[in-house]
Amino acid sequence: MAFPHRLDAPELPDFSMLKRLARDQLIYLLEQLPGRKDLFIEADLMSPLDRIANVSILKQHEVDKLYKVENKPALSSSEQLCFLVRPRIKNMRYIANLVNADKTAGRTRKYKVIFSPQKFYACEMVLEEEGIYGDVSCDEWAFSLLPLDVDLLSMELPEFFRDYFLEGDQRWINTVAQALHLLSTLYGPFPNCYGIGRCAKMSYELWKKLEDEEDSESKGRRPEIGHIFLLDRDMDFVTALCSQVVYEGLVDDTFRIKCGSVDFGPEVTSSDKSLKVLLNAEDKVFSEIRNEHFSNVFGFLSQKARNLQAQYDRRRGMDIKQMKNFVSQELKGLKQEHRLLSLRRCKLKYKSQFTVLIPALGRLRSENHSRHYLKKPKNKNKNRDISWPLSYAPALFFLPSGLIPKDYRSLKTQYLQSYGPEHLLTFSNLRRAGLLTEQAPGDTLTAMESKVSKLVTDKAAGKITDAFSSLAKRSNFRAISKKLNLIPRVDGEYDLKVPRDMAYVFSGAYVPLSCRIIEQVLERRSWQGLDEVVRLLNCIEFAFTDITKEDKASSESLRLILVVFLGGCTFSEISALRFLGREKGYRFIFLTTAITNSARLMEAMSEVKA
Amino acid sequence: MDCYTANWNPLGDSAFYRKYELYSMDWDLKDELRDCLVAAAPYGGPIALLRNPWRKEKAASMRPVLEIYSASGIPLASLLWKSGPVVSLGWSAEEELLCVQEDGAVLVYGLHGDFRRHFSMGNEVLQNRVLDAQIFHTEFGSGVAILTGAHRFTLSANVGDLKLRRMPEVPGLQSAPSCWTTLCHDRVTHILLAVGPELYLLDHATCSTVTPPGLAPGVSSFLQMAVSFTYRHLALFTDTGYIWMGPASLKEKLCEFNCNIRAPPKQMVWCSRPRSKERAVVVAWEKRLMVVGDAPESIQFVLDEDSYLVPELDGVRIFSRSTHEFLHEVPVASEEIFKIASMAPGALLLEAQKEYEKESQKADEYLREIQELGQLTQAVQQCIEAAGHEHRPDMQKSLLRAASFGKCFLDRFPPDSFVHMCQDLRVLNAVRDYHIGIPLTYSQYKQLTIQVLLDRLVLRRLYPLAIQICEYLRLPEVRGVSRILAHWACYKVQQKDVSDEDVARAINQKLGDTPGVSYSDIAARAYGCGRTELAIKLLEYEPRSGEQVPLLLKMKRSKLALSKAIESGDTDLVFTVLLHLKNELNRGDFFMTLRNQPMALSLYRQFCKHQELETLKDLYNQDDNHQELGSFHIRASYAAEERIEGRVAALQTAADAFYKAKNEFAAKATEDQMRLLRLQRRLEDELGGQFLDLSLHDTVTTLILGGHNKRAEQLARDFRIPDKRLWWLKLTSLANLEDWEELEKFSKSKKSPIGYLPFVEICVKQHNKYEAKKYTSRVAPEQKVKALLLVGDVAQAADVAIEHRNEAELSLVLSHCTGATDGATADKIQRARAQAQKK
Repeated sequence: MAFPHRLDAPELPDFSMLKRLARDQLIYLLEQLPGRKDLFIEADLMSPLDRIANVSILKQHEVDKLYKVENKPALSSSEQLCFLVRPRIKNMRYIANLVNADKTAGRTRKYKVIFSPQKFYACEMVLEEEGIYGDVSCDEWAFSLLPLDVDLLSMELPEFFRDYFLEGDQRWINTVAQALHLLSTLYGPFPNCYGIGRCAKMSYELWKKLEDEEDSESKGRRPEIGHIFLLDRDMDFVTALCSQVVYEGLVDDTFRIKCGSVDFGPEVTSSDKSLKVLLNAEDKVFSEIRNEHFSNVFGFLSQKARNLQAQYDRRRGMDIKQMKNFVSQELKGLKQEHRLLSLRRCKLKYKSQFTVLIPALGRLRSENHSRHYLKKPKNKNKNRDISWPLSYAPALFFLPSGLIPKDYRSLKTQYLQSYGPEHLLTFSNLRRAGLLTEQAPGDTLTAMESKVSKLVTDKAAGKITDAFSSLAKRSNFRAISKKLNLIPRVDGEYDLKVPRDMAYVFSGAYVPLSCRIIEQVLERRSWQGLDEVVRLLNCIEFAFTDITKEDKASSESLRLILVVFLGGCTFSEISALRFLGREKGYRFIFLTTAITNSARLMEAMSEVKA
Repeated sequence: MDCYTANWNPLGDSAFYRKYELYSMDWDLKDELRDCLVAAAPYGGPIALLRNPWRKEKAASMRPVLEIYSASGIPLASLLWKSGPVVSLGWSAEEELLCVQEDGAVLVYGLHGDFRRHFSMGNEVLQNRVLDAQIFHTEFGSGVAILTGAHRFTLSANVGDLKLRRMPEVPGLQSAPSCWTTLCHDRVTHILLAVGPELYLLDHATCSTVTPPGLAPGVSSFLQMAVSFTYRHLALFTDTGYIWMGPASLKEKLCEFNCNIRAPPKQMVWCSRPRSKERAVVVAWEKRLMVVGDAPESIQFVLDEDSYLVPELDGVRIFSRSTHEFLHEVPVASEEIFKIASMAPGALLLEAQKEYEKESQKADEYLREIQELGQLTQAVQQCIEAAGHEHRPDMQKSLLRAASFGKCFLDRFPPDSFVHMCQDLRVLNAVRDYHIGIPLTYSQYKQLTIQVLLDRLVLRRLYPLAIQICEYLRLPEVRGVSRILAHWACYKVQQKDVSDEDVARAINQKLGDTPGVSYSDIAARAYGCGRTELAIKLLEYEPRSGEQVPLLLKMKRSKLALSKAIESGDTDLVFTVLLHLKNELNRGDFFMTLRNQPMALSLYRQFCKHQELETLKDLYNQDDNHQELGSFHIRASYAAEERIEGRVAALQTAADAFYKAKNEFAAKATEDQMRLLRLQRRLEDELGGQFLDLSLHDTVTTLILGGHNKRAEQLARDFRIPDKRLWWLKLTSLANLEDWEELEKFSKSKKSPIGYLPFVEICVKQHNKYEAKKYTSRVAPEQKVKALLLVGDVAQAADVAIEHRNEAELSLVLSHCTGATDGATADKIQRARAQAQKK
């Protein structure tokens, strides 16, 4: 079953303009260095760049060869080198080494560094310290918003999460504010703003400051998007850490969707070549199943195949053009889906050996089986995918706001022994970010402890409510989930084919906290009546609403909502909000610093040897 | 109307020159102009007088006095000259007064006598003294040319961007040139000088002799030379009373004139208007003024008083003690309209309008006449243009009225030219007012542009007028009103007699949130006047923190700057302040400051992590942050150190830090790692192969894979690896080796702490069902069904499940039954189920 959009759903603004803007600016910057040149691109920027300007466009503007910025000496022979990098100190060193090597060799070339999305003073300073500031020219490519899909904009800044939530580094906030400013100049002001979280508030204030400084020209514009909602990732780590069971989320968890496309290796395509598939709303089949619970997907696809056969029989009636279209669109899609499907089936089986990690439910079960899991990862996961077992750790400890020291220790010991001592730092990072907590010694929650130990021995893990009430009296999450009814009462089978609420994205067991907050605030048009929740989120100072009373906004635009996830969002959340939109007649647009999932969050936290 | 042309003087057949009074001068001069050094700025600019410039007496009353007046003679400044003797005065394009001293120093004063700066024209000038100097204007700005006592020239084409150029020597020059001037064409400045009968042209490399073509013979010396306002023409006055006029390139002769006066003229300047073919030179002697052009006769005026000539774009200003006059060629439009018996359309229109006012039918006749010729448009245009060139408002009005009257009979006459002329004239009349004293003509105004005019008003501190003009012309706020308000504020902060509070309040009241006003600029000015407190107060009004910070840093309020930068949320700004602080404070203070600003601290830490590891360590040390210190050394142990000893040492430091942080676990883990490292080293020495940097489990696995079972077990014991885990490790390693024999031996070594299901699983995974089956019998009963299913023995699995009477197991087996082959088994299960239900 597919969810068609409601007929009265508002039109989405055209975000392809952002791409054109970025491309034009890049071309302009490349033209600033006339003549043939070699382009060095940072690995992280390659996929986004690919979505903006392909190689032939670059060649048109006299880019000779493309290199990747990596820790290898570059063998470029061009007289002009252009670097397209993120503003990182590491990259500056790379450039400095290259330039200094040229200097020692007595070679003079032209160097140009293009920072995306902006340059930082620290970078310039490193260039200066390395003594090459005068040799390079610096420019900014203000490419901060990449439209991954018709309703999804990504800043492609995965490091935002680590920088802000772990290191407390606020440098990206300016970038966010500028991106918002760009949106409001292109698509009109936002009459209604809501937000929660420290970062959200700072971004919002910085953005408003930018608006104030600008000339008042844009102020008379009619808003195209009626609401904006800013949300910090640390409001809701739980949802992000859950394994995803919506189709798109699942694909992301298994294959990693990178910049809106996914690479299927030879083992998936069952041929020698790997295949790159673009996943977005243009792919009809995919757009129909992306938001589905995966258990529905198989049925849907076989249905689709039958239809296809039927259409095949009708093909006599088609003219050539229709036929072509048909073949290229649907057939291709279906083939891919089939391939993907067959692979995914076995992947899923493999996965289910571990667990079907459904949030809340899954977490309790894992609590239950904790000992088991603690041993398993190292044995089963020979491919050394570090993030995968680690993502259990917070899942285990996040809710009870602290783990019994004994268990915590044994977990850590085993983890360190299997993955190396550098992960001692990973644990300290997790702690710092508040993803992992240990009960302070002496802080004995004996009642709870006994309950947990009882649960550990209790094989029947059905008593969810029971477990929740006993676990962690101090846990805010518990209170919040009760307050917002995040764990729907399970009476009878949850029919995943006909979702009733947003919980369907987690098999009906859990409504994503972030999405629920958004729903509630939009319903009330303010934070009023949510004081308790805000307090529990420790965000009394950081929840804000700003509503303009002007009636310039059309009713159409008032049903468009831009949701900004600071620190990344998951496909499950996107699906849940898309569902909410259909139910309430809204249309959500997503802006995220990056697409994330549990594995990516954990990677961001882990220390890896360089 | 007959009297209107009374002050018109014909020069030749085609041109008229007229002289009219601009102002009667308000100044009360004690001395004659001839006793002063005089400089008047073009474009109706101010007049500077230096009285007693040549007196060297020390008596205070006789000291030179520098006075600055507006063009209408209103005193703007007066100050006692205390510096060295001045050779020459001149105004720059920015209306700054340049005073060239004998020693080559140039002092720069503002319009109000405020000292701005000074610069020197170089050592050579200093040594040889200045004989003469000229200030000239080029497209780059204002330049200074100096003739030194050694008869050499030094010049700078732009005093704003001082680059001294020494001109080449004139060969055989013994005495000072009789006259000289600067010439500019093609962006190069030349100097033309006359020595006796010779003319020399100096460019920056060469000196060449030039001869003006067609120069009358008998010249033994040139007394005066003049270059036109645009550097296009040159006039030479010889000792025979002969005037030669030609282009500045000296390629041809335009005309010549013999005035038969051999006395050297006091001044000689060009008087021509742009785009006019007429060329004329105005020559002034003590009592006589002569306009000379391409005509046999000249125009002569008698000068009652000592006068001074100021060349302008379209004429000459002449001022004396009592009057200020303007002499120029009558513009074509005015000439057409006002010439006696003119039948030009404009003249007729003016007449028609007058008759119309008299309610005479002649108005119609005149109009018809114009219309019959089809020249009404032209007539209106002529009247509008002529109005622009009139100085007297009543004449402007009557011409504009005529234009407006004529417009009524035209269908489609675009209104802009009329409207703009009205606006321009209003502005011009306002600035020409006696109190303002900027006698601009229409052509000068257009050349100058409104922006520059506004700047000049601001320079004269005429803020209200400037604002009124902006509002009247509806200039955009940013370029108009707010800019002027900002200038006003900058002036306001210099009023030292008003308290900081009052100034800040007054400024804020007036400026409010006017767009485009930069409070930080005003604050910078306040700081420039030494009013730091006021500057800080003003900065409070600055909405953009980014603008506040640099000034605060400059004022050494670094800590305030830091908090402002943090407030702004701009990390780059924070970083700028941090680096500033780092250099300014000693390390301890710097760290203390950071400690109070967590945001700055984390930013700095991030930077240190990449660039200055040692500083990072110091930071943690200072905070007694042993936990982070430990982490720091851990990172160092694998990132920075290469040698094993170094790594162990780093780990030891880390462990100590962890103990201090009371993080026993981390300390223990670190110590374990130290032991492991040493051990791995030993293993590498003894067994060869790669052990370093493997995790403990991988070390065990590697040992097992290498067949060193004993050592593996020893290692497990040493590091207290639980039995279960050791079994898992061994199991997987052996299976990977496909050493089935050893695996079997291992399974029998003692009772497996992890059960036997994993054995089955791992064999199946290695596609060895045969081996897998060996272990199924030993699998614990509750897992047996699963194990049997894994090896594919559905039938037996069914049996076991039935035996267990476990519903879940039954369904599991059932789901594995495939079609034909397992049909019997499926039936069996169904039967068993039915039986179970019966019971």
